[in-house]
Amino acid sequence: MVTGLWLRGLWRRRAGRMAASAAGITIAVALLASLGGFLASSKATMTARAVHGVAVDWQIQVRGGADPNTILQTVRAEGGLRPAVPVGFATADGLSAATGGTTQSTGSAVVLGLPPGYRTTFPGEIRTLTGSADGVLLAQQTAANLHVAPGDTVQVRRAGLAPILVRVDGLVDLPQANSLFQVVGAPAGSQPSAPPDNVLLLPADQWQAAFGPLAAARPDLVSTQIHAMRTTPLPSDPAAAYTSVMAAARHLEAATSGVAVVGDNLAASLGAARQDAAYAQALFLFLGLPGAVLAGLLTGAVSSAGAVRRRREQALLRIRGASGRQLLVLSSVEAATIGVAGAAIGLAAAAVVGRVAFGTFGFGTSLGSGLLWAGGAALAGLVIAAIAVLLPAYRDVRTATVAAARREIGRERAPAWARSGLDVVLLAGGALVVWAASRNGYTLVLAPEGVPSISVAYWAFAGPALLWAGAGLLSWRLADLLLGKGRRLLTAALWPAAGSRLSPTASAMMARRRRPLARSLVLLALALGFAASTATFNATYRAQAEVDAQLTNGADVTVTEPPATTSASAASALSAVRGVQRVEPVQHRFAYIGADLQDLFGVRPDTITGVTSLQDSYFQGGTARELMSRLAARPDSILVSAETVKDYQLLPGALINLRLPDATTHQLRTVPFHYIGIVSEFPTAPKDSFFIANASYIAARTGSDAVGALLVDTGGRDTAAVAQRIRGVVGTGATVTDIGTTRSAVGSSLTAVDLRGLTRVELAFALVLAAAAGGLVLALGLTERRRTFAITTALGATPQQLRRLVAAEVLVVTVGGLIAGGLIAGLLSRTLVSVLTGVFDPPPSLLTVPWSYLGIATVTTLVALALAAASAVRQARRPPTSVLREL
Amino acid sequence: MTAPLDDADGGPGVATAPGQALVHCAAVTRTYGTGRQAVPAVCQVTATVRPGARIALTGPSGSGKSTLLHLMAGLEPPTSGSVRWPGLGGSPAGRPGVVGMVFQGPSLVPALDVLENVALPLLLAGANADDATERAHAALERLAIPELATKLPEEISGGQAQRVAVARVLASRPLLILADEPTGQLDSETGARVVSVLLETADELDATLVVATHDQEIADRLTDRWEMADGRLTAAVQTW
Repeated sequence: MVTGLWLRGLWRRRAGRMAASAAGITIAVALLASLGGFLASSKATMTARAVHGVAVDWQIQVRGGADPNTILQTVRAEGGLRPAVPVGFATADGLSAATGGTTQSTGSAVVLGLPPGYRTTFPGEIRTLTGSADGVLLAQQTAANLHVAPGDTVQVRRAGLAPILVRVDGLVDLPQANSLFQVVGAPAGSQPSAPPDNVLLLPADQWQAAFGPLAAARPDLVSTQIHAMRTTPLPSDPAAAYTSVMAAARHLEAATSGVAVVGDNLAASLGAARQDAAYAQALFLFLGLPGAVLAGLLTGAVSSAGAVRRRREQALLRIRGASGRQLLVLSSVEAATIGVAGAAIGLAAAAVVGRVAFGTFGFGTSLGSGLLWAGGAALAGLVIAAIAVLLPAYRDVRTATVAAARREIGRERAPAWARSGLDVVLLAGGALVVWAASRNGYTLVLAPEGVPSISVAYWAFAGPALLWAGAGLLSWRLADLLLGKGRRLLTAALWPAAGSRLSPTASAMMARRRRPLARSLVLLALALGFAASTATFNATYRAQAEVDAQLTNGADVTVTEPPATTSASAASALSAVRGVQRVEPVQHRFAYIGADLQDLFGVRPDTITGVTSLQDSYFQGGTARELMSRLAARPDSILVSAETVKDYQLLPGALINLRLPDATTHQLRTVPFHYIGIVSEFPTAPKDSFFIANASYIAARTGSDAVGALLVDTGGRDTAAVAQRIRGVVGTGATVTDIGTTRSAVGSSLTAVDLRGLTRVELAFALVLAAAAGGLVLALGLTERRRTFAITTALGATPQQLRRLVAAEVLVVTVGGLIAGGLIAGLLSRTLVSVLTGVFDPPPSLLTVPWSYLGIATVTTLVALALAAASAVRQARRPPTSVLREL
Repeated sequence: MTAPLDDADGGPGVATAPGQALVHCAAVTRTYGTGRQAVPAVCQVTATVRPGARIALTGPSGSGKSTLLHLMAGLEPPTSGSVRWPGLGGSPAGRPGVVGMVFQGPSLVPALDVLENVALPLLLAGANADDATERAHAALERLAIPELATKLPEEISGGQAQRVAVARVLASRPLLILADEPTGQLDSETGARVVSVLLETADELDATLVVATHDQEIADRLTDRWEMADGRLTAAVQTW
């Protein structure tokens, strides 16, 4: 009876406060449900991409002495696999070719024997560059070494047997050469650092004819692998999928009695994906949870904006005989009402967010995951409601006297956290954690190969969390100090807003209400800090993803030419293509350092940065700009890999003699270079060791300016369309790739999953939180002060004077919130990037600040604050006696 | 100081000739709510307050005394009829210091201390901070409550708050003082003293005083008496 009466009264008389509290819970629930749904969906995407990116799921190595056909039958008897096929592997002593009047020879080569239909079953393993897609195929690098093209003849030297001649039908690229030529069963870390330099692919019958006899004579040089693709559906979570695939592989190994070893490429790919999934989970924790906490704080602030009145109402009930238990029941009903309403609307809002941002109400996740996240988010909403409404009521019932409960202002002593210096402790603790996370050896996510469990350094989350909380409390302390002891300063500062006559009154009012004002200010600062740091992190992440894509593709559009076929002058032909802004030729050669063969890229150091991005993190020994300047100033300079520096004991300035093919003699000639720095990554360059040198110097010393690639700058626009137009110009002889396609094919990584969805959801929520923290809290605070404004009006205050009093308060909250929010954002952005450094590939040199979003967030917050102020002024225009009568 | 009844002008209420009127209410009605919920608080009141008057506005609770004072203070617009302030140069709304109002209920700004509350209308009227503080102190001394200067409203009793409200009116030296049950929360001795202060101040400032009260003793200390019942002005009597 009383409960129903109380509830009806709340909805009738306190509908605004109830709705605002429910709105805070709505934001928290919607944010958690949206991000949770997105996380579950992302994990499923990661699994799908990981599976999609593997050319051969299993490479089953048949051990020496075992019968390949028996193993093949056993594998085919395993469930959940497409028909497995045998692939022959043979090692030849070398390859030779006579072209252009000279004969070129290579060292040992790997010759594969592919059964019919192999390329159809495993389409991602081999990519045709030129010539026929069937028959005898030669790897691109081998063709470059031998100077052969389709139609030429290559001699294959066999150990102890007569050489054979094969006619090359096509040149191919082996995109997954690392896994194809892995040593199956070798322990992690003992795999060869690079795939073989020379590879020849023969049809199975031709291979059998050539190497069948060798298998009998030298079984150590010939082996068989069985390649298979799995068809069994996998769990959507990469970690679960990894465990499932590993178990299946072990089952097969057990079935083959140990004579076959499974090279589990699928598990390796899923292993990387589960690491990415763990990063995604960490991102959710780092970026999503603070938003939910903030929404909880917002709900608490909204609820506490009416706390004075609630205390008074409860005090009246106590005077009339209500027991503490009855009061708690009433508060529980209020909390439950707010919680249930907020959770229901929040879940509906999350569904709408899913529909708008991802085109589906359920974020593309499974029903089970969706329900789990929805349930969890709703529960969180109920907990927030209990903390925001029930806890203060419980505290009041336990500790406050009726007289104290009826007080509005009070002369409270500093809170316990302020007296104990908790803010400083939190900041120091946060700094300590961040320092620990910045040290060498820190890894946020550790997913050891072959081990089902993943280790995530969740303790690192304490860094930004402590800094966030500490900075918030410190802001509170400073605001409290300014509004209290700094009243004179405040009075002077308020002159422009309140005028010289009213600024002392305004500052006096604020001094007495400094606690709720400080709370509004801090909440605004935290919300702005959250919005700005999230946006900065996301912008930096996007920028690095773009850098990664550019690193892989080279530029907006990249034209990869067949070896030694295209002169640098070809760049001018591409410049005329519509949409092309600049074209930069990059030479690609193979050079010997000692006995090692490495890629050599010749660049124009003055102009290379005009079409592609060179990050400082790619280099050691100078910034990107400095090293390019040195390459330009001293043309015989060269950048080498860290591994080469170590292997060859190089010191800066050291002479390096490389052997390069001479265009005139078709022989290798020695070209001297001087080592100036280390390069770890470079656009279009492979992941392993390579050289970067001055293109003009290479051209002068080798007699050829032939380019390996043309990097095309389109200004970032219409890359796919421009690439298509370029294809029309260069024909089928060259490979044209655009950055958009590359971006989506970078692999099963966070970059590939693309956090745009997460970004959209988070940034939208951050915007709502900032606006709500500013506008809603201030509006409710001002609403609770209707009595003050009514009395002031009754005393003869003009509308302008009322506006000035309100403006002074808004000014303090706004300026304080913006300054503190900016500082918190800067601190958090750096911390997040530092702690989540493993997410970035490559790591960023600088933060990318999203000025447009920050501008929108600031303007939105200012508009919300202005609306709150305008609403307060409008309310104050009502006849003051009517307002006083209502209160 | 008040004119006799004029049935033609104001029905059964009290009508006065405008002349040098400070405030003139003409057939003023103030209704709260609308439709079937409408409650007339003041009904067809026509009355004039002349400069220097000392009026006791009496009547039972709910008779419309407070609403009539609010109308005369310009704090509420009439639903019908008109209120004019020929002796005040127009509506006192937004003109601090022209009319001083002592409200029946709590009327102090919670976030200002007593001294700041008393000084507030002076600051709103454009006084500089030092002058306002000095006059506020003087007003508190006059009410014999200087020790409350640094207290917050929630730290003083209801009676003390009422005296502070009176001090606030005195400090602003208005032309017209409207006091709504100024002694309602005071003991009889303090109440009598507050009324004395109001009368003395009105004399000093040559201000006009209207006190809404249902305390017969207080009413007897004023020269005129207006009686209200059911929102209507039923009698206007010059007692002295």
